[in-house]
Amino acid sequence: MNGGRIYKRPDNGEHPKIGIYAGQGASHSWLWFVEIFDRMGFYDIRFLTEAHLKADGLDGCQVLAMSGGDTFAVAQGLGPEGADNLQRFIEDGGLYIGSCAGAYLPLHSSKEHLNLFNFVPARIANLTRTLPEAQRLKEKFCTAYGCSFIFHPVREAVQVATNGFEPFSKTPSLRAPLYGGPPMVARESAQVLATYSGFTDKTVFLVDEQLARDTVLGKAAVIRQKMGKGCLHLYGPHFEHPRFSVANQLLTDAMLWDLSKERFPAGDGDPDKETFCGPACERLMKDIKREVSNSRITAVSLETLPVQWTIRNKVYETAKIREFIEPVWQRIRRLEKLNQIVLLPGQDELLLQHAVEMTTVLREVKRGVRKGVNTLHAAKKMFETLNRTATLFLEIYFRTKLNLDRNVYT
Amino acid sequence: MEYLTSDKIGIVDLATGEIIEEELEDDWVLEKIGGAGITKFLYDRFEDEDPVVLGTGLLTGTLIPGSASGVITAKSPLTGRVSHVPLNLNAGMELKYSGFDYMVIKGASEKPVYLWVHDGIADLNDADDLWGKDVWAATDHIRDIMGDDLIQVLGIGEAGEKGSELSQVCINYWQSADRMGFGNLFGGKRLKLIAIRGMGLLEIAEPEAFVENCAELLSAVQSGAAIGTRGIAAMAAVLGEEDIESWLKPLTHKHMACFNTPIPTNTFVFLDEDPARLEETRIEEPGFLLTDIFPLLAFKRLGLAAADACRVLRTCAKYGIDGAAVAELSEKAGLTDPEAIKNSLPGLKGPVSTSGDTVFSPWAAIGNQEKGAWTRRQAVAYIFGLHPIFALAAPELTEEKLLDISSLGTELELTAETLDEVIAGITG
Repeated sequence: MNGGRIYKRPDNGEHPKIGIYAGQGASHSWLWFVEIFDRMGFYDIRFLTEAHLKADGLDGCQVLAMSGGDTFAVAQGLGPEGADNLQRFIEDGGLYIGSCAGAYLPLHSSKEHLNLFNFVPARIANLTRTLPEAQRLKEKFCTAYGCSFIFHPVREAVQVATNGFEPFSKTPSLRAPLYGGPPMVARESAQVLATYSGFTDKTVFLVDEQLARDTVLGKAAVIRQKMGKGCLHLYGPHFEHPRFSVANQLLTDAMLWDLSKERFPAGDGDPDKETFCGPACERLMKDIKREVSNSRITAVSLETLPVQWTIRNKVYETAKIREFIEPVWQRIRRLEKLNQIVLLPGQDELLLQHAVEMTTVLREVKRGVRKGVNTLHAAKKMFETLNRTATLFLEIYFRTKLNLDRNVYT
Repeated sequence: MEYLTSDKIGIVDLATGEIIEEELEDDWVLEKIGGAGITKFLYDRFEDEDPVVLGTGLLTGTLIPGSASGVITAKSPLTGRVSHVPLNLNAGMELKYSGFDYMVIKGASEKPVYLWVHDGIADLNDADDLWGKDVWAATDHIRDIMGDDLIQVLGIGEAGEKGSELSQVCINYWQSADRMGFGNLFGGKRLKLIAIRGMGLLEIAEPEAFVENCAELLSAVQSGAAIGTRGIAAMAAVLGEEDIESWLKPLTHKHMACFNTPIPTNTFVFLDEDPARLEETRIEEPGFLLTDIFPLLAFKRLGLAAADACRVLRTCAKYGIDGAAVAELSEKAGLTDPEAIKNSLPGLKGPVSTSGDTVFSPWAAIGNQEKGAWTRRQAVAYIFGLHPIFALAAPELTEEKLLDISSLGTELELTAETLDEVIAGITG
């Protein structure tokens, strides 16, 4: 099935500069981008919030990866300044990769906040004024969209057919998971790279099967849109999901296809960085590991309890907690083996502070759930802390990997 | 050591609070195999510092049937011998996956402390909030503050804190196989408890062959004579105490096995709830897990009703005292009133015969077996990490098979001669 080329990063030490949105509107799926970029050896990664995107966070970036989450929260958080910066970024040669919520964001809309991001002439096919009957997963089946609703006809793996255009030309068909992303109807200049072509034995139908077929099949799953010198790639399904390697390969192939060489930056962007080696590194890693282990143990324990939280428009099950912790946990071991970490001044103390907070708030949530009290407020704080800790740790991880990789070439 | 281990030994100095780590050398495994072979070796190494050594067998936590046991090795305050007590239920398995194969706890702390072992991290924490709590309350407290009910707690109660030579290191809420007075050692070290959570992984040198061999052994065990034995009363019946089954049956709620052990050696009785209840109980703790045959038999001999005997054992567990010793001393004192027995716990003193006359806890009954064969089988169980009762009941787990599987798991050539030497070294 994997007819695409296997990408290898140019072996000259150059890394595409990638920004991954991990702000308040993001769910956990930005960590899937982390996973595949790490696997591909792209280490020049920065994590961006609304504040970064409203300021100069995109300067020097070649790619912005906008993952799943709450599109309204993202649009509201970015506001006009963020929208202007994003438009400028793309028109100047940047590449926007939007997946799921990140795909909805730049589609044409008349809704407040969203209408700031009318970059791609395509229609959302799963938008309705009259909600169909949900057959299962009622809490995940729809989202209010002004006076209308976005409903999600299916979840899990669907079949996607590519349309013969580069860079997807060598892979005729593949599977990718759909977790609320859009089926789209492209107009004008929007190029359809792939179409929803069928369902799979893993597909879960949230509405009547015929309605699901009518709503999804034949609609655009991946759209490519040129804009100025740059480009947008919009993915309804999560091509970045780490368990779908063919989809991962296509996503990165496409990224490299449209990567602007003009925006390739030179030099080291972190002149203030510090390197911790030997005992200092061991001590810090042990302190971080202690807290991440404590959090992980509580997270596993929470998974046995029947609780979930609706935060903004998204439902968070307890299993989502470990989506933030595991990527950190796995990489702690890698850093331990390197016995070296590269960070900016103060990041060691800040990371430890975040990690301690993470353990504290997880235990607070666990205690609350056990006692049967309302834990929504604590859960919000918990997911914010998880996000903050994962972001900072991964920033340090990628800086370390990038530094080591660059040292190989200098 | 690459396979079937975390490759780490923790050495905790309670006097200074310092914790250092060492690697587990391949040579130690080649010479001592594991479990009691290595805990005894570590005990000897730190003998001058009054160590309590925790460890796991080479096969603890693996797919081999009965792989439940860890071991505590220390000098018994009751016998004066360096002795071994098995860690059953899920405690041995959790220790195996905690990131430490062995933990040497030496010296004594000035103030109450507890040890938290998880993911290759060992933390010594202040136990002021725990000291004075009974075993149940301490277990609840530590699980609550750590946020996980799967944490295995090796802890002492008031008996251990006050220096009772009959005190026991309990496992979670329940009585353990500690007949050696190790609770007294914990108390003397001001070590209230050790909390363990294991979420690690083990590497296996030849995984396919290892799993295949374990599956074959399981099939053999499942065709064996012991497999139908279910619960503590059925095991007593094997020892010729058939009428205990009808005595205990009205209270019996369910039988429970230790980790990956094909025969359930524990029985949960309901004391404050209908034992036939299938729905989840609304009572916080409706009963008690019976883990030891001997005190039950002794209390029955004294004429106690089953419910009274179980209630006395529940009190023993909370107090952290060995129920078998309490039963023997009650028998000697002619105490037959359950309340009088409970009231006798503070200040209760030996001598007792419940520690046996070998280096292994006599918790796994010798029954009709020849003593030398029992001792050797116990040694094998403590070295490889097998449940000591199951090891006696499952002759299909031959020494040859255990060595073969260990070699598949570790890529090390472990021989029958080595095993003989290790057994001789442990049993002295």
